[in-house]
Amino acid sequence: MLDLVFLAFIIYVLLLGLKRPFLWVLLYVYIDILAPQRIGYSLIASLPVSLIAFAAAFGGWLVLDRKEGARFTMRQGLMLALLAYCWWTTGNADFPVEAATKWDWVWKALLFAIFLPLTLTTRARIEALALMLVLAIATIVIGTGMKTVLGGGGYENLKFFVNDNSGVYESSTLATVAIGLIPLIWWFTRYGTVLRSHWLVTGFAVALTFACLMVPIGTEARTGLLCIAALGVLLLRYTTKRLMFIAAAGALGLVALPFLPQSYYDRMATLAAPGGDESASTRVAVWEWTLDYVAEKPFGGGFDAYRSNRFAYVMPVKQVNGNTTSVEYREVVDEGRAFHSSIFELLGEQGWPGLMIWLALHGLGLWQMERIYRRWKGATAEEEAWIAPFASALQMGAVIYLVGALFQGIGYQPVMLMMVGLQIGLASYCARIDSARTGHDRSVQRRAAIDSKLSVAVAA
Amino acid sequence: MIDYFALALGHGLMAIALLRLVLRDDLDADPLLGQLKADTAANRLATSTAGRNAARRARDKHADETVPDDGEEPGR
Repeated sequence: MLDLVFLAFIIYVLLLGLKRPFLWVLLYVYIDILAPQRIGYSLIASLPVSLIAFAAAFGGWLVLDRKEGARFTMRQGLMLALLAYCWWTTGNADFPVEAATKWDWVWKALLFAIFLPLTLTTRARIEALALMLVLAIATIVIGTGMKTVLGGGGYENLKFFVNDNSGVYESSTLATVAIGLIPLIWWFTRYGTVLRSHWLVTGFAVALTFACLMVPIGTEARTGLLCIAALGVLLLRYTTKRLMFIAAAGALGLVALPFLPQSYYDRMATLAAPGGDESASTRVAVWEWTLDYVAEKPFGGGFDAYRSNRFAYVMPVKQVNGNTTSVEYREVVDEGRAFHSSIFELLGEQGWPGLMIWLALHGLGLWQMERIYRRWKGATAEEEAWIAPFASALQMGAVIYLVGALFQGIGYQPVMLMMVGLQIGLASYCARIDSARTGHDRSVQRRAAIDSKLSVAVAA
Repeated sequence: MIDYFALALGHGLMAIALLRLVLRDDLDADPLLGQLKADTAANRLATSTAGRNAARRARDKHADETVPDDGEEPGR
């Protein structure tokens, strides 16, 4: 039954796309994020829906699209360089089989992110992509939020539609992505043109924001808490009454505290004292190992290079025996610990060149969004007023992603690469407006000059 | 149950949004850029015609003053 509903939806979008092929791009975004082929059981699981959608998206663009204003930018070049470099390291990987498995999805995510900006040639398309991202993530987040509120949360306990920790269905990743999208959700309540400003839209945004904030709580993902903190700090920039904002956020946090389960406190407590938590203390060990590793192999060891790490360290282990709690220091041996940080993931897998490309890609994005925000801030015309808030929403999303990425290996996260595509699309669009406006102004000046010359000639 | 509700709500909203997008012409042609380009083209056309006319008149006038008996039409 569920399979049929998904199939019906996919066929519906495929049919709509016959009129406007750009919708096939959105279909791919939907399939890539929500992975209906993995939620369903029978029919849909056997169909290559992702491939069909990509073929439709790319073919539709190639054959039917106007491609007016599509341009290849420097950041797409950076992604292309990263893609080529990853291909090379995969060929020389320490663990060829595992590396090939990861390469299999990374190249698709990178290629799609390179392709995406070429299709984002109009304001409506930029908004449509953002809306699709928000709604696809919302579909997952609504369920997660409701389960958290109604009970049944907990680290590695909360069930998503898909429970294999793949893509965005990994608790910390989902928490990061959900928090990162909150600014964009609020952008829609004011500047959305597909679903226009309406109390229903605002109501949905309130509920969805709440659900997004519930994700880190429901999944007990510590990184999510840091992302919420980052969001709070970022919002300070855009609030006029800062003290009031800080007070309100503090009060809200205090009110929320009694409702949090004990297990949540226990897990968050390890943020401050990482010594007692294996996950936290191995992170530091893995990061040190990675630095040693690239000292030997500066060009990286290919995907999943972390598998060769092994370390023994002494860790305090608490033992509760009746009323007494004894802490014993035991030696723990860990093997093949994942990087737990995108910086070290890139460094270990792609070496210094890969890390440099990745940092340049995201650093340039932050700078570009800042430039666009400053350039368009204060624009009041309806067709331009949306730009500055949109750029700042994307920038906040990027910062939150980078904060989350410091503690998770999500360097090639497809949703975040789509956000990069969206940033590039926005930058290209703004550059086109600027250039069209310069041409327009020049033509107006020329016309005025000639008109005045003519009137002088006529008067003479 | 919650899963079905979330899937239904998400897909319902996506279906509405996509239907609305299909009905919009500005999905494929940006109105602001289109307007700017059309205005620029119109201005260029006007300036080029007007420019040509003005130049011709100016030359005509100049030719009348300096070489009144020249039979050739200047600037052609």
